[in-house]
Amino acid sequence: MSEPQSQTGKKSVGAELILPAGALVFTLYYFSTIVDSPWTAQVAALFTGSILIALILVFAGRIALLVSSGKADLGMKDIVEPLSLVPARCALIGLTILFAVLIDWGGFTLTSFAYMAAAMIMLNRGRAKGRALLISAAMSLAGWGLFIFAFGIRFPKGPFERLMDAIL
Amino acid sequence: MDAEFSIVLRVLADTLSYWWVIVPTIFLGLIVGAIPGFSAANTIIILLPLTLAMDLKMGIVFMVSLYCAARMGAGVPAILVNIPGTAGAAATPLDGYPMARQGRGQQALAISFVSSTLGGLLTTILAILLMPWLARVAYVMHSVEMIVVMLFGISLIASIASRDTLKGLIAGFFGLMIGFIGSDYVYATPRGTMGFLELYDGIPLIPALVGLFAVSEAFLIIENTSMLTDDGRRAMAKPGWGPTIEGCTIALTRWWHITWTSIIGLIVGIIPGAGAAIASFVAYQQSKTFSRTPELYGTGHPEGLIAPESANNGVTSGTLIPLLVIGIPGGATAAIMLVVMQYHGVSFGPALFRDKPEIGYGMFMVMAVTYVFMIATILPLSRYMSRVTMVSTAYMAPLIISFTLVGSFVPRQYMFDLYLALAFGVIGYIARKTGYHVAAILIGVILGPLLEQYFLRAMKMSQGDLSVLFSSEIGNVLWVCLALSLMVPYVLDWRRKRAAQAAIDAPED
Repeated sequence: MSEPQSQTGKKSVGAELILPAGALVFTLYYFSTIVDSPWTAQVAALFTGSILIALILVFAGRIALLVSSGKADLGMKDIVEPLSLVPARCALIGLTILFAVLIDWGGFTLTSFAYMAAAMIMLNRGRAKGRALLISAAMSLAGWGLFIFAFGIRFPKGPFERLMDAIL
Repeated sequence: MDAEFSIVLRVLADTLSYWWVIVPTIFLGLIVGAIPGFSAANTIIILLPLTLAMDLKMGIVFMVSLYCAARMGAGVPAILVNIPGTAGAAATPLDGYPMARQGRGQQALAISFVSSTLGGLLTTILAILLMPWLARVAYVMHSVEMIVVMLFGISLIASIASRDTLKGLIAGFFGLMIGFIGSDYVYATPRGTMGFLELYDGIPLIPALVGLFAVSEAFLIIENTSMLTDDGRRAMAKPGWGPTIEGCTIALTRWWHITWTSIIGLIVGIIPGAGAAIASFVAYQQSKTFSRTPELYGTGHPEGLIAPESANNGVTSGTLIPLLVIGIPGGATAAIMLVVMQYHGVSFGPALFRDKPEIGYGMFMVMAVTYVFMIATILPLSRYMSRVTMVSTAYMAPLIISFTLVGSFVPRQYMFDLYLALAFGVIGYIARKTGYHVAAILIGVILGPLLEQYFLRAMKMSQGDLSVLFSSEIGNVLWVCLALSLMVPYVLDWRRKRAAQAAIDAPED
């Protein structure tokens, strides 16, 4: 990962703290769930978690030294850059969450088609809509044919799958 | 001797007569292996009614070919789009994907196919020749020995972390903590489950794999219109058979590397409960440890691709040995094979090879024949498969997300697993964007619960006495090997630096 430089020439290292911070919160939460547990449930997590906390503290110290010496700042550039892509990335995240939520109701074929078509058109900035629709239709139908129809795998079922079940 | 040779010939001829089952099964296996969630084990379970309806020989041919092909298929997306099809291929993208990005995807696929085939064939032959002795490995590997084997795999975290040790270790230990989610093995006390019943059995591997690798990769690749680097695009602009031939040559000239890493896979495969993921991590770590160019690992180094691919195919024959000799399956797929074979009235043990050699030896013969058929069918496809990397990321990212997310749903059929994959996707994305290695997290998630399980078992047997960890002769030998393998990179690095310094100083003298 290349080290991003802020406009002041400093490295932005704030984003590097996100994962350790998350790990620290999770470890403390984990400890809270094993306080009253037998030792067998505690030993591995206490040993590993203690080392993890120590590593995170050392890392935080390293970041603090960099920031205090003026070589780095706590900017979050790593996560958001490239800035021009933020809208597309946010839209893709939104579509993906929608896909995960709706697939239980819409079924694999329809939801995948809608998701792929919308995401492809969005990522292509509205260009080549026909191709996006064609690829999405072909891939979702191929997925249905191979996994649901041929193998009988229990994918999330929706109106399309139920209709095809009734017809075939 | 003549009698045994005639049995082998008869079994070979018999196996070849099932070519019409093997060839389509190879393609099925390649597909199910390539998509996360559709492992060989899952597919055999899904097709169990069909498998049980087949006669015994055909059923074995189908299951074994599917098993081998799925193992090889898992490496294809790992190389081309940084998404391992199964946990067994999780070490493959470490060097396979950088090769693909450099426009060497076709070469990487050829290396992977040749290493997998040679590794699989060699270990199949070794399995047939040394079966009675190899089966003993399953008896001598107890909790203590398994702890050391797990530590071999976990030590890869330190190896991966070599560029930024602190970040690598944080990622690895975070993975281990995530791996400890779920009920404890002795009293079934739920730990760190955030109240989700779906996590009581621990973190399911496929959503973790899908999220950490596939979802995060999809969100990263949209930053460019192509997955390839500029040089990679130029290299891919001239299609031809050259890279396939180069890949084969690279793999064949490293035959010794294939040999010893596949033997690691064979031995790990024999151990019940171990598996391809452990074998490939251990093989990668050992390959890097004893390499003359460890600094090239992670940058698209062929040996970093050969090691995990040979090892995970070595596992394939390894898992069948305890199944056939002592009736203990070495892995999930072997366990399903056990069910099917028992349904057909097959009894395991030495009597199997005496009374039904066509079944005992037949399974390994199917494996060998499948590998030969597979290399013949798949190698020419490497040229066309590698073109996947040319597809625009605007089309590739949605395809990756939709198919892999659904793949995460398949093994347990919980919608929860889909959301879990998204959560791992967020972790993977943050990790990648901020310089933490997702493979280090995944190693922790995979090996953490196994390590804890064996540790607790050892502690229960010794009534909490830690000295049990050093109580077995084989365990102690493994501890020494582990210590040596951790020290060797530093010693070799020191020697290299000294040699380099001597070379600089030489002209001055």
